Parts: sequence; C-alpha cells; structure tokens
Amino acid sequence: MKALLVGFAGAVVILTAGASFAHHSAAGIDQTRTVTIVGVLKEFKWANPHSWMDIDVADDKGETKVWSVEMTSPTYLARAGWKSNTVKPGDKVTVTVRPLRSGDPGGLFVSITLPDGRVLGQAPAAPRAPSQ
Amino acid sequence: MKTHQLVLALAVALLISTPAMAQAPRPAAPPAEPEPLGALARANIAKPRPKPPFDLTGTWFIDQRNSQNTWRFGPTGPFKLTPEAQVHYDAAKKAQAEGKVYRDDIGQCWPAGLPIIMTRVWPIAMIQVPTAVYMVSGFMNSLRTVYLDGRPHTDPDVVVPSFNGESIGRWEGDTLVVDTKYFVNDHHWIDSGIPASDQLHIVERMKLVNNGNTLEIEYTMADPKGWEGEWKVTKRWNRVEDMDIAEVSCLPDLNQHMPSTQSKENVR
Repeated sequence: MKALLVGFAGAVVILTAGASFAHHSAAGIDQTRTVTIVGVLKEFKWANPHSWMDIDVADDKGETKVWSVEMTSPTYLARAGWKSNTVKPGDKVTVTVRPLRSGDPGGLFVSITLPDGRVLGQAPAAPRAPSQ
Repeated sequence: MKTHQLVLALAVALLISTPAMAQAPRPAAPPAEPEPLGALARANIAKPRPKPPFDLTGTWFIDQRNSQNTWRFGPTGPFKLTPEAQVHYDAAKKAQAEGKVYRDDIGQCWPAGLPIIMTRVWPIAMIQVPTAVYMVSGFMNSLRTVYLDGRPHTDPDVVVPSFNGESIGRWEGDTLVVDTKYFVNDHHWIDSGIPASDQLHIVERMKLVNNGNTLEIEYTMADPKGWEGEWKVTKRWNRVEDMDIAEVSCLPDLNQHMPSTQSKENVR
C-alpha cells in the first residue's frame, strides 16, 4: 500500500470550509464583514433545516434585486424570540447579513429590525448549558 | 362417440393439461434455515442477556465548549493520503484559498454519513433496547442502527452499502465496541476534501462518563483507498435535556433559497 501513497506527510491542515451552524459549508460567505440592507419582505419560510427570507432591495439606481437571506432552523430562531408570523410579505425590514463573497445579492442572517423597531437575531445552533 | 361428445372430451382434456404444460420449472428451494429475528422481534428482545453496563437512551450533542471544530473528523497528526484522495484534498485546499467550497455534497442534500452524522449541527437522539441502539440525527433525520443481538456482519454479497454503514456492537466490560463497515463509495466525506470509500472501516469504543451525563467515543478509522494506517480521535457528547429531534428534510426548493449552496463559489 505504501507504494500507492504519495509522499505528503506535512503538518495537519484542517480545512475550515464549513461553519458549524449550517447543514452545509459556508465557505462562500464572507464571515469578516456584514452588510445591512433595507427592503420589502417578499417571502419568509419557517422550515427545517433552515428558514429563509427573500427581500426586494432597491439599489442606488432604483433597480430592485431579490436578496436571499439564509437563516438557522426554527428551533434556534424561536429561542431568539422568532415566531412563524414575526414577519409577513410587504413588511419593510432592515436586515444585517454576512454577504456572499461573490457580491451576488444574498448572505447569512445576522439580525433584523422589524417595522415596530424590535431587533431580533438568532440563537447559536447549540443546546443550552449541557447537563453536568 | 358422437362428434360433439368428442369435441367436449378434447376440450376438457386440454383444460386439464394446460396448467401443467405452462408451469415453469421451479428453482431449487434454498436450504431450510430459520429466518433471523429482527432486532425488535419480541422473541429476540426477550432472549436472556447480561445487563448492559449503561443505557445510551437520550439526546446528545457534540461538546463544542472548547472548540467550534470538534465536529470535524480530519486527521489530528501527520498523515499520508493515497494519490486518489490527495487529488481531492489538494482541490479542496485550492478552493478554500480562493474562498470557494469544494464538493459540498451535504449542501446538495447528500447524506452526511458516518462519522460526521454523529456530530453535524444538531443533536442526535439515541434509543437503546436490549438488541440494538437506534440513533436518529436531528441532521436530516438520518437513521443509524447499532445491532447488539449478536448477529455477525451481513454477507458482503448481500449487504446494501450505505452512508452510515452497518454497525455491529458488543459489550467489553464497561465499553460498547461498535464495528462499522459497508459504506458507499462516493459523495461521502470524512472531512472537507477527504473522501470516504467503500473500504472505510470504523471502530468506536463508547463509554459513559461524568455520572452518565457525557458520552465519550474513541474513533479508529481506516480506509485503504483514502489514507495509510489508522486515524484515531476521541470525542465527547453532552446530554441535551431541553430539545427534541424534529422532522428535517433537505429539499430542492428550499436549497434554491440558500445562498451558500447555490453560489458560484461552490466547486462541484
């Protein structure tokens, strides 16, 4: 078997391609910065394994683009105060996301300012303090 | 015999003989062996067995208090990959350097498979009966069964390869030793850029510590198609008392709204 093996025996390199909160890798997301968008909620999905929002956002030229905002599961959203009817289509919302590296309209949800001024985030995808 | 009587007699003879003529030769019956009992058969559960040293029944979540990376199963020391696996590893490193994602099959709804299914994202429920431990992950409701009823591994010519493989457990003192093999050969990853093959073999040594509140598993993993020798790592799970496992499905129309699975940063 050794003859089949290449001569790579370097230090351990853990590829950090995935964030631990999602069901998939999030390497396409720029985790170093946030972007805040203001727009009109087009659709909100309350579902496992992820909730999501589509938001119509007008740019400086007046052109509207749909931003897809990826959220965690309802379990962890509920722990941050969310309900399935917290937002509805037509609501004017301000949403902060970690954007796609590509610059395409979309990103991972960080927080939302609701029409009534409340600010909601999402709980970390981990249980509360473990049993001891 | 009149003509109509002769016709009737011939017709009756034909009707009687037709089924026998049409019948295909029957294959030889297999040797008569009793059907093995299912793990939940009452007669199987009722068989006398020593009392198990612990009960895994509960909901568990990987301990991430000291590191967010404890869910990963990549090597923890120097390692050598096969040329075939090295191609994937190098491609994943290149993708990462470019801010891209390499072969994120999980994001495209492929099952995570063992070993990652034990640690990925959400807690895992375990139900122990005398003949088996049933594990249902909050991650896509993946089912894993560890058989404890003394059965051997399935005939390799009969078994259906799977992402979680076939797990056979046995008690050794205070430890549950679980031997798992018969995995699929594609779309299954040990970690980013490290593929699992149909030669993957995993041995888990499971113990309950911390007054039964912590599950500790020592992993020994070998895959001659992927790397040289054995990789060992020990992980811990804590009991989760305030959460249930919900129905979770990876759906194409949901994925359309997931920027991280749809972006051009995904290298397929």
